[in-house]
Amino acid sequence: MKIEIKKEDAEIPTASMADIAFLLIVFFMLTTVFSANRGMEHVLPPKDETNDAIEPDEAIYIHIFPSGQFEMDKTSYTIDQVEQVYSYVNQKVQVNAKKPIIVHTNREAQYGDMVAILDQLKLLQVHMKQELAITIPSKEEAKRYEDFN
Amino acid sequence: MRVKKTKMLEAVIPTASMADIAFLLIVFFMISTVFQVDKTPVKLPASDKDNRIDVVKDSAFVVIREDRTIKVSDGIEESALVNLEDVGVHASSWMQKNPNKPVVIKADAAANYGLVDDVLEHLRNAGVTNLKFLTEQGTTQ
Repeated sequence: MKIEIKKEDAEIPTASMADIAFLLIVFFMLTTVFSANRGMEHVLPPKDETNDAIEPDEAIYIHIFPSGQFEMDKTSYTIDQVEQVYSYVNQKVQVNAKKPIIVHTNREAQYGDMVAILDQLKLLQVHMKQELAITIPSKEEAKRYEDFN
Repeated sequence: MRVKKTKMLEAVIPTASMADIAFLLIVFFMISTVFQVDKTPVKLPASDKDNRIDVVKDSAFVVIREDRTIKVSDGIEESALVNLEDVGVHASSWMQKNPNKPVVIKADAAANYGLVDDVLEHLRNAGVTNLKFLTEQGTTQ
């Protein structure tokens, strides 16, 4: 008598595949953060170089006030006219690319205003494909600039 | 003559492509997921898109909110609340491990510059040189 062996088909169970997939979707949906992860670069000078502070009269001196106004080489502007920074500085650095630019922000001013001005300077830097000498003065330097005015 | 009964069509939602759709979504979320060290909501200042550089992975974060609270993170652990005076201590320890470690300033646009200035002073004294101001894309106007 011949015995017939019934062969079982090898199969991977796929019924729960969609469940696993949806579990993973939920996990990644919850952990995803669409966040701002880009910003403007600024290089701070090494600590021991603070002695050779720049004189405000040989630099482009930008002073930002709490009222949302700023002064650039003794001319007043409001923060809406921030594009003036680009054209004015552009005109100056065409003559002397090494001209220092001091961004002195009043302690009561808004951080956003300072970034708006820095943005214009960095933009000019990108367009000129050249590093500009942008300085954010330390407290000590800032005090000297305040006395200067 | 008897009228034949109308044959009812069974309503079926096709589910064969369900798994494909699910996997597509998984891949999308896997790629777009960023495990962020800091999730503090702040209104970032805007800057032009040409200026913006990607924040390097493992950068240290200093978060300044409008209500004058400060949070720091070394880029690996979650950000934690600190006092202004402790920013320098944290920054010094980062610099000891890696003197070129980038530090990201994530400050609210409406924050007082005085506080940002104080933080910058602490970072400067700790020897931080590689600094980034986190911004949002947009024109300044």
